[in-house]
Amino acid sequence: MTITSDLGAPAPAPRPAIATGHGDRRGSWLPTGAMITTRIMELRRRRGLMASLILVNVGIPTIFLTIRLLLHAFDPSSYGPAGGYNVFTGLVAGVMYVFGFIVAATLGCTAGSIDLTEGMFRHLVVTGRSRLALYLARIPAGLAIVAPLVAIGFTVVCAVCVVAAPTRINYGGASVPAGLTQTGFQTWAADHPDQAICDLPYNQPITVNPPCGPGPGGGGPVRKGPAPAGGQPSSPAALQAQAVQIAAHDYSGYKALFLYPSDSLMIKTGLWIELEAAIGLIVGLGLGSLLGQRTVAVILMIVLEVILTPILSRAHLPHLSNLQRSVVGLATAHLEPGGLPLPFGGGGGGGGGGNPVNRILSESTTVAVCVIIAWLVVWSVVGAWRMMTRDA
Amino acid sequence: MTAEVSGERAADSKWAVEIHGLVKRFGENVAVNGVDLLVPRGCAFGYLGPNGAGKTTLIRVVLGLTHADAGTMSLLGFPVPAQRDVALARVGAIVDEPRFHGHLTGRQNLQLLAAAREPAARGRIEPSLERVGILHRADDRVSKYSMGMRQRLGVAACLIGDPELLILDEPMNGLDPAGMQEMREMILSLVAEGRTVVLSSHLLDEVERTCDAVAIVDRGQVIRQGSISDLLAGSSVALQVECSEPDRARALLETTAIGADVNASELGLGISLPSGTSREIIAEVNRILVDGGISVYRLQQVQASLESWFLQVTSRLGAPQ
Repeated sequence: MTITSDLGAPAPAPRPAIATGHGDRRGSWLPTGAMITTRIMELRRRRGLMASLILVNVGIPTIFLTIRLLLHAFDPSSYGPAGGYNVFTGLVAGVMYVFGFIVAATLGCTAGSIDLTEGMFRHLVVTGRSRLALYLARIPAGLAIVAPLVAIGFTVVCAVCVVAAPTRINYGGASVPAGLTQTGFQTWAADHPDQAICDLPYNQPITVNPPCGPGPGGGGPVRKGPAPAGGQPSSPAALQAQAVQIAAHDYSGYKALFLYPSDSLMIKTGLWIELEAAIGLIVGLGLGSLLGQRTVAVILMIVLEVILTPILSRAHLPHLSNLQRSVVGLATAHLEPGGLPLPFGGGGGGGGGGNPVNRILSESTTVAVCVIIAWLVVWSVVGAWRMMTRDA
Repeated sequence: MTAEVSGERAADSKWAVEIHGLVKRFGENVAVNGVDLLVPRGCAFGYLGPNGAGKTTLIRVVLGLTHADAGTMSLLGFPVPAQRDVALARVGAIVDEPRFHGHLTGRQNLQLLAAAREPAARGRIEPSLERVGILHRADDRVSKYSMGMRQRLGVAACLIGDPELLILDEPMNGLDPAGMQEMREMILSLVAEGRTVVLSSHLLDEVERTCDAVAIVDRGQVIRQGSISDLLAGSSVALQVECSEPDRARALLETTAIGADVNASELGLGISLPSGTSREIIAEVNRILVDGGISVYRLQQVQASLESWFLQVTSRLGAPQ
């Protein structure tokens, strides 16, 4: 039973009214600029997290390229140039794509859960500010941290890969000048018949005795189709004709090789890894908010990126192919700029060797874009819903 | 226009907190069971109860940190949760142990909270830190703060909103005696400024010194509420008597019709008389003893304290319920 006695309420003491209302859209779902900037400050002050973000996005590429620059400077005959097209594609698709996603996801999981685990969430709720606004403030704040770091790391990679690019293309072991027309390439082959015949890829029968050896059974390099019988050396004119024929055959492959990435490829690639990092951040934010703690959320994000996505991208599961297509990593792989090797360890596609995306489960660009948007929206809704309904 | 109407409503309401029939369940456990509570404006109001009585749960419900299963509430005249954002714009609260981001300084934590409040809140950070006495440590990381300093920071976090109503859950925890005195003085000064302070605590002595009115909560229910003086006036009258032959004195008093509850010991008698007992009855007690041949060395009325009264009315005294 509740027993109450009547309380006489004293008259309220005079007190100036609190100035709320002007510029105080507290019930609005839109976060204010101050909320975003203070959230950036809160995340930036996490030294361990920021150190890992900087290390992965900027440090690893910088250290790797610095070592290559030094090695090449001290011993150029043993160590090739630090930059170039192949180094660019390898670094971007092999390191920055996967690890950038993981550290962005870690930041997202942290932003989504840390107020709760550190007891700050109830202070924020008691301000009366919309919980949705509290959630949404974390998205631009996280992006404001991740995007510049990815951009800085990527700029370092681009700069080194362009400035320290090789001066000649290595095509099948032959050192060829870059940017030749077909006529120019054939002229180069005529001028360097030995390299063209011995090093350029060519699987058709040849009509000359190659200067580098007779082919299978002859004890020399095994690089060409069978040479004609007889041990007589071919005439220079015959060698030149054969070299021109090989050059004409290989020009399409040569044309796809570059000394360094083009401006267009660099821009597309930069946007692509920024997209991947943004996806990692927003999905991690939603998952962190849903689970209410960071560690498990980060582990799940790593499992998604490092284990599930590579498997589901390549496995052929006849009745589950649409489910496989709903994996966000597969969708972003389909948006990969042409000329990059397959992400998550696929490799082999770089250097213009065909379209690596063909090796993973097919998916149209429209579907890929829809899958990405769906992941961003669904995880944002889930994370915001949990934050709005959670006991603080 | 809406804001003006709301403001008028808030000003008209004479209750800072008004709760009717509030229920909060956690599964089978009813943490708050049909609570009715009225907190007048402009006073320090103690919300007392033993551990596990449901004090913090009620505060969390009122502040919207968790939802209620039944009942109606309003803060400063604004119905909650319907106008929760408007109400909480005028409220500052510490709930449970004050915890903050340990990697940030005290000032940075307040900046984070001020950003979620109105723009003017940022300008109140310095005065708030100064008022709670931690301005000199404002740029130290909170992980280096003592419990008492975090309590002070929690109060500062309340003050940056320039609140009309402060709800402080166990604000004395972790404070040393000097800190408790400072906190007490601060609460009184806040009340003197026209603010309402709801002080949830189990430190009865502190509440008695600080608050004008109290509510006692036990097992999820408010069992008494009112001004401290009124409530104590309604408690029984205790007499301490030093006399010869305590056992015979006890027998004498029990044969009379004054309604005394008498306990005898080697030192004398402890006598409990019904509330409202007049001075004449106390004199009658003395007369009965003297007429019965008992030597009375000392007879003293013991002032009822909030603590003794609290123990009387809560289930912690007497048979288990």
